[in-house]
Amino acid sequence: MGELDSGVGGYFAGMKNNSSFKKICVTVVWSWLFIFAMVPVLLTLITSFLTADSSSLVVFKPTLQNYTQLFNSAYLKILLQSLYLATSCTLLCLIIGYPFAFTIARSKSRHRALLLLLVMIPFWTSSLIRTYAIMALIKAKGILNTVLLAIGLIHHPLPILYSYSAVLLGCVYDLLPFMILPLYGNIEKLNPDLLEAAQDLGAGKIRTMVKVVFPLTMPGIIAGTLLVFLPAMTMFYIPVLLGGAKNLLLGNLIENQFLSANNWPMGAAISMLITVFMGAMILLYWRNAQSKDKQNLQELV
Amino acid sequence: MKIYFKSIIIFCLIYLGSFSAFAKSNVVNIYVWTAYLPTEVAKQFTKETGIRVNVSEYDSNETMYAKLKASSDIGYDIVFPSSYFLRRMRQQNMLHTLDKDKLPNFHYLNPALLNKDFDPKNDYSIPYLASITGIVVNSDSIAPNSVLKWQDLWRKDFKNSLLILDDMREVFSMALLTLGYSINDTDPKHIEEAYLKLKSLLPNTKIFNSDVEQNIYVDEDAVIGMGWNGDINLSQADNPKLKFIYPKEGFVISIDCLAITKKAPHLENAYKFINFLMRPDIAKKISLEIGYPSPNLGAIKLMSKELQENPLFNPNEEILKRGQIQNDVDEVLPLYERYWELLKIGS
Amino acid sequence: MKKFTKQIYPSFVYLFLYLPILIVIIFSFNDASRSLIWKGFTLKWYFELFHDSGMLTVAAHSIIIGILAASLASSIGTITAVSLFRYRFFGKNLLHGLLFVMIVTPEIVIGISLLLLYSATNVPLGFWSLLLAHTTLCIPFAAITVYSRITSLDKSIFEAARDLGASDFVIFSKIIVPLLLPAIVAAWLLSFTLSLDDVITSYFVSGPGFAILPLKVYAMVRLGIKPEINALCTLLLIGTLLLVVAAQVALKKNEKVGE
Repeated sequence: MGELDSGVGGYFAGMKNNSSFKKICVTVVWSWLFIFAMVPVLLTLITSFLTADSSSLVVFKPTLQNYTQLFNSAYLKILLQSLYLATSCTLLCLIIGYPFAFTIARSKSRHRALLLLLVMIPFWTSSLIRTYAIMALIKAKGILNTVLLAIGLIHHPLPILYSYSAVLLGCVYDLLPFMILPLYGNIEKLNPDLLEAAQDLGAGKIRTMVKVVFPLTMPGIIAGTLLVFLPAMTMFYIPVLLGGAKNLLLGNLIENQFLSANNWPMGAAISMLITVFMGAMILLYWRNAQSKDKQNLQELV
Repeated sequence: MKIYFKSIIIFCLIYLGSFSAFAKSNVVNIYVWTAYLPTEVAKQFTKETGIRVNVSEYDSNETMYAKLKASSDIGYDIVFPSSYFLRRMRQQNMLHTLDKDKLPNFHYLNPALLNKDFDPKNDYSIPYLASITGIVVNSDSIAPNSVLKWQDLWRKDFKNSLLILDDMREVFSMALLTLGYSINDTDPKHIEEAYLKLKSLLPNTKIFNSDVEQNIYVDEDAVIGMGWNGDINLSQADNPKLKFIYPKEGFVISIDCLAITKKAPHLENAYKFINFLMRPDIAKKISLEIGYPSPNLGAIKLMSKELQENPLFNPNEEILKRGQIQNDVDEVLPLYERYWELLKIGS
Repeated sequence: MKKFTKQIYPSFVYLFLYLPILIVIIFSFNDASRSLIWKGFTLKWYFELFHDSGMLTVAAHSIIIGILAASLASSIGTITAVSLFRYRFFGKNLLHGLLFVMIVTPEIVIGISLLLLYSATNVPLGFWSLLLAHTTLCIPFAAITVYSRITSLDKSIFEAARDLGASDFVIFSKIIVPLLLPAIVAAWLLSFTLSLDDVITSYFVSGPGFAILPLKVYAMVRLGIKPEINALCTLLLIGTLLLVVAAQVALKKNEKVGE
């Protein structure tokens, strides 16, 4: 979320403000995040430069080896596979989630809370259990195949389980609410008069969507994309359960390093590299988005 | 006001958190493989002794080890490491030396499973259950007689159909056995050979799994592959077509042990609990419920004749002789790890 | 077309979301302990569940942790978002970055490093360690959800309020929070969900005395999903739905009284 505020945040930031309320807020936020987020992150960072040791896990011998070892084609392959999965998962979530969030955000206001709650309730059942339920649905002798065989649509069971599509299905299912909620929060506050105005001015439905609604809900789209894309990059038990653990992804790789290989520095280094890589991608995106915004503004002017 | 209130709550949380919440009550803290200790047994222990049993569970030796390493005074009294991990933990001074005088039921144990390399005098460990890794086939799809050795899994007609355990040591042991080496081999050349051998098995591999392997066989998502005898033993109730084969080349015997941690806070209770688990009637109950062979001769004597002679449940001396006990591979472990990772990446 | 977007499409998404849940419910009546294929009807898993009082305690633990962690995280997430939006303070950009890093860091890394932190500071593993970890895990999700709404609030309102002499605290509690309420609710729901579902971090920061549901579930999975756990989930689900219905009825009554 690094620079979500560029453009708008500066408005208040510019004001001199030293109220006690501000102090309390900042202190609470900072002290909590410092202790429970900053310190662990720093620990990870430090660990990533130390040496693994078979008897005491980590010994204090600074090295860069954990990073240099990572630059080989095998790891690159894993990175690309993970990126591919995360991207397709995010796109699918956006495609499924946007119209859905739009519809519930535009429904009668007294129904909205209920509709939103109904989205979340399935997710209060453990994701492992839901993953197993998906397995029951798509396994060789599972519900889907039984039904399809019974009505004669297919003659051999479809081998969906333990394939890439199963992994993708599982990821989309698991992360969909993380797309829907921020989108909802954003679309809900769109002023309906604005849409009407756009249409009154002769903009077609699609044009209204593209030119008015999308740009206005961009913060929601970005938030949703972040909340889906980032966790999808390091997902690990869905590929194991639904994909048969055949293709390692980044999440599995890190888990392996920490648990099976007992190589904490290496695991920490991979985790750090992912962070840096993703950070760079997001920064790049924002640079782009910002310059486009400026262009749009200039056009308007 | 609300914000002051919030800050107070947060302050309280941190303050209270720094308190030691460990009441010195009459308990014993068990850290055990998932679903590896029947709840009935724990309940009976509490009933007989008044000692409460706190059970936490782990899903692999590695996770247990990682947690104990990160925080040694975590409060667990008894852990259940497998043989090869026991040695590592013993060497790293993570375990308490057992006082056999406090374990009068020790004499019930099968001498064939005692004093092995990983703990030569059983100073640190008590065998709890033994597991054997073999081949599983579904007799409906594959004639059990046509698959007798590990090498058969490489057959061309099993393309994309095998279930391979998602366990590095088990998988390498299988390859090492087909090549005629020891399962605890530390010669880098042999390990590389094993890696190449396994690479040629990838086209036949459908699933890597070691969590719910029995589930996959029962539902016939895989009809052939590796498996653990205890799991298959229990699964036969749900799918009688499943057959377990002790491969000709040999197989892995892993002994899951009971051990007391170095800083066990409830030492006396831990001794009482371990001794309780070695009582023949209790050991029988455990073996029947978990499905794995008991190392407790007293327990086996209490079982029905049919069960005593079931080679899947109580492998006799002759079968046991063909197996090899899993041990730590010490300094070549990273090499194994590297090849394992390459294998899982698929290159 | 209108009907499609208004009713049919959302129904499909709901179906997608609820299908696996339906399967969980169905399989809680399945007469097989190691199979995900239908074998016959039974109620025995429910009897076993009530026989096993431990399971219900564990579920209660999880719900308590979930509610507390979600409340804490959405509160802190909200003030984080507000501070980031309104104030200039030391390390603001660092805070932005930190939130991002927390989301992208794999749970296992967070779990192990928190465990190291706890053991260095002698925090015993149990209720507090779990609550602190879950809250921390949820904060970035809550903050982002709230922040995405705050950025497009009409800023002239704050200015007007300030001109009228409202203090920062009044602006926050009387203007910002009510305006952000939908996003705060969404953040609470997300956090609650995350907390109820977190296995990996919980695994590392839980101790011998305080068991929670995700870990219990994870444990049972090794036996190939014991139907008992399906029964528990079904009961929890029914409980949740009853609560939702009750809340709706109560709201309706309120509305009527209001009229």
